[in-house]
This record gives sequence, C-alpha cells and structure tokens, in this order.
Amino acid sequence: MVSETLIFLGQVLIFPGFLFIILLAFFAEWAVRKITGRIQNRLGPTYTGYMGILQPIADFIKLLRKEDITPTMADKIFFLIFPIMYFSLPLTAFSLIPMTEVQALTYFEGDLILLTFIFTIITAMVFLGGFSSGNIFSIVGGTRSATQLLGYEIPLVFTLLCPAIPAGSFSLTTIVEWQQNNSWIIWTQPLGFGIILTCMLAELELTPFDAPEAETEIVAGSITEFSGVKLALIRLGKNIKLVLASSLISALYLGGPEQLWILPPIMIFLIKVFVVLFLMVSLRAIFARFRIDQILAGMWKYLIPLAVTQFLLTKILWGW
Amino acid sequence: MKAKLADKILKWARTRSLWVTHFNTGGCNGCDIELVAIFTPRYDVERFGIMLKGSPRHADVLAVTGPVTRQVRDRLLTIYEQIPEPKHVIAIGTCAVSGAPFWDGYNVIGGVDKIVPIDVYVPGCPPRPEAIIYGFKKLIKKMEAEEDIE
Repeated sequence: MVSETLIFLGQVLIFPGFLFIILLAFFAEWAVRKITGRIQNRLGPTYTGYMGILQPIADFIKLLRKEDITPTMADKIFFLIFPIMYFSLPLTAFSLIPMTEVQALTYFEGDLILLTFIFTIITAMVFLGGFSSGNIFSIVGGTRSATQLLGYEIPLVFTLLCPAIPAGSFSLTTIVEWQQNNSWIIWTQPLGFGIILTCMLAELELTPFDAPEAETEIVAGSITEFSGVKLALIRLGKNIKLVLASSLISALYLGGPEQLWILPPIMIFLIKVFVVLFLMVSLRAIFARFRIDQILAGMWKYLIPLAVTQFLLTKILWGW
Repeated sequence: MKAKLADKILKWARTRSLWVTHFNTGGCNGCDIELVAIFTPRYDVERFGIMLKGSPRHADVLAVTGPVTRQVRDRLLTIYEQIPEPKHVIAIGTCAVSGAPFWDGYNVIGGVDKIVPIDVYVPGCPPRPEAIIYGFKKLIKKMEAEEDIE
C-alpha cells in the first residue's frame, strides 16, 4: 500500500511527471531556437553547454535572481497570480496525456473536455495578466489575445472532439487505445490534423498569429511589465504549453505511445512530439505576421467551415 | 563552499544570457544600424546567448547610441530605472562616449556617462559590428571579474 503510494508520487513528481516535463520544456526551447536559427541561416545558441543545449537553463537561472519589480499602477493580486497560473495550468494538463503507456496518469470519461477548458483558461489568464499590469501595451496585447480566441476557439474544439467520434468516447486514453487497435486518426481525418495544427499555432501565439505579442508594435504584449521570477515562470509556462500542444496532437492524431520493436513507448511518443514540434516551428519560421483583423476574418471564413465539414464527414462515415 | 558553488552557477548563467534593450538618445541612426547588424545571420550573437528585447523590464544590458540631448535626458533616466538589477550599460559610438562632435551644441549635454554609469565604451563613427561584439565580450569579462555578486 505504502509502496504503491510512493510509486504514484514518483510518477507525479519525477517520471513522467513534473521534473521530466520541465526538462523536456527546456529541451524544446533549445530545439525551437536551434531549428529557427538553422532555417534563418544562423547557428542559434552555440557556446552554452554542448551545442548551446544549456542556454534555456542559463536564461532561467539568470531570471530567477533578477530584481522583481511590481509597477505602481499594477493590480497586485492578479499581477502575482498570472505567472503562477500560466506555469501550473499546462503542467496540470500533462497528467491527462498518455506518455509512457496507453493509460494516462489520471483518466476519466470526459477528460478531453477538461483539456479544452484548460486551454481556454490559459488564454483568459493572459488577458487578465495584460489588464493587471496597468501598461497600455499590456492592455492592447491582452485584448488582442482575447480577440484571437474568438477566432480559433471554435475550429479547435471541433477538431479536438472529432477523434472522439470513431472511438466513441471523450476520454483521451480510450481514443489512444482505439487508434492502436485500428489505425491512426490522421489517415482518416487529414483535414482535421491541418486545422488543429493551425489552431494550435494561434493558441501558442507563434508567428503567423503572434499579433498579441508583436514586438514591433506593442513591445511584448501582455508580458511587457513582468520581470525576474515572474518572467522566468511565464517563459517556462510558454515552453510547457508548446510541448503540451505537440503531445496532445500526437496523442489525438498520431496514435500516441506504442511499443515498436524494442523501443519503449516513451521513445516513440517523444519522436512523434518532436515531429509535430518541428512542423510548428518550421511554419513559424517561414511565415510573416497577420494583422488581428486578418486572423479573425481568415478563421471565420475558411477554418470554421472546414472544421464543420470535417465534423460532418466523420459523423457520416462512422454513423449517426 | 556551498554558497561559493551557487555564486559560480549564478555568474555562469548571467554571463551567458545577456538580453539587450536598445535606446537612441538623439544620434544619426548610423550606430543603430551597426548594432542591429550584430543580430543578423552574418554576425548572429545569439550564439553567445545575447538577444534583443523590446521591453526594458526584460533586459540586462542597456545599449545607448547618440549624444544625450536636453530633451531626452529624462527619458534615458526612466528607461535606465525600468531595467531590473543587476544592470549594465554599453555606450556605442563616439557620440555616446563623449558627445563629439556635438559636445558644445546648445541642446547637447554630452556623453552618456554624464547621466548614467557606463560599463563599456565602444568608440567609432560608427563602430563596426565586430567592435560591438568585442565590447560585449569585454562586458562579460568585467562581469566575471566582479567580486560581490548581489
């Protein structure tokens, strides 16, 4: 009984829990910076550790010991809450995603709906953090973030729920199980894969959809006023969200963790995660920024009809 | 011994992650172009972990170009105070170093060191990107030699 509790604690805190995910997030930031650098014909981080692999950790440690400034105009409580929530929400969501085996750490009927809820709450937090800073750039950034949510939220929810139709369940674990018994969902719903990739780019505020933190217009968007520990937590939270989005896509559409020959399931899962990450970073590096009205118009004119089409097709294919 | 190790790690992190914010105090844009050139693929200082940040709240280093005019004095002080401690300043170009050739202008106060303390001077009109990178390297050397880390 005691040993079972210890094993569960180890799973939550170390592997595949908090420690493993935080290290994975640091590795993902290094990969993002290196891939972006190579696409732009640069080297990226080079001298911090082997091939610059310790660069995100150096940034993190430096930010931990910087002065922590709270502006006079800021709303003290929400200014403090935003970094903590932005860091802890994606970390919590990870316990619902199957990584080492078909079953996730916790699973129940309807955890997919909880995941969509968490994604929305994160964006609401960005909006709140922007307003609590009391800076004009932050307020504009927060408003843009919330406006963008009106565009990508509906196709995102449609494509998150489409894989649930053939599996007949709202549980991520059941969907992964169904994919291993039948086929990967990307083969039957390729349109949905494209839509969810686009929507995740918007959710993560990566370049074609990074109007909320456009550096040339509004400095850094809603995180303009944050410094020190708070900025460190926000940056780490952003990286965790990046890994969370990639692993959610690879669990929903690419079959999740499965045993292949002698490779353990976690290896296969990480390979899939980094394939999705590479796709997203390449899209980020080769596109220019859309205006906020272009984002909204494009989402409502093209992405939502496509998402509805995918939903209806799946419904017809798998029976009412 | 334990505290010493923590200090070493902190110093290692600080010298490898300099985030720069850039402020023009009334120059001719020549130095600005050369400063921005060090972030381009040809020179790419992200190799050393140096990045250009828009917000002074995220920055460690203030890179100043141009002679300080009377009008910009208060703005320079505001930007300097917005940077969280520990902070460093680099003066880029002869104007920022001493105010020349505008040193006796009716609206010019002089070099940047009359307003805020400066760590590294990079002279030149404008300095080449290599010279600016050398200036950053000197700043890193200075940070490594600093005794009290707080």
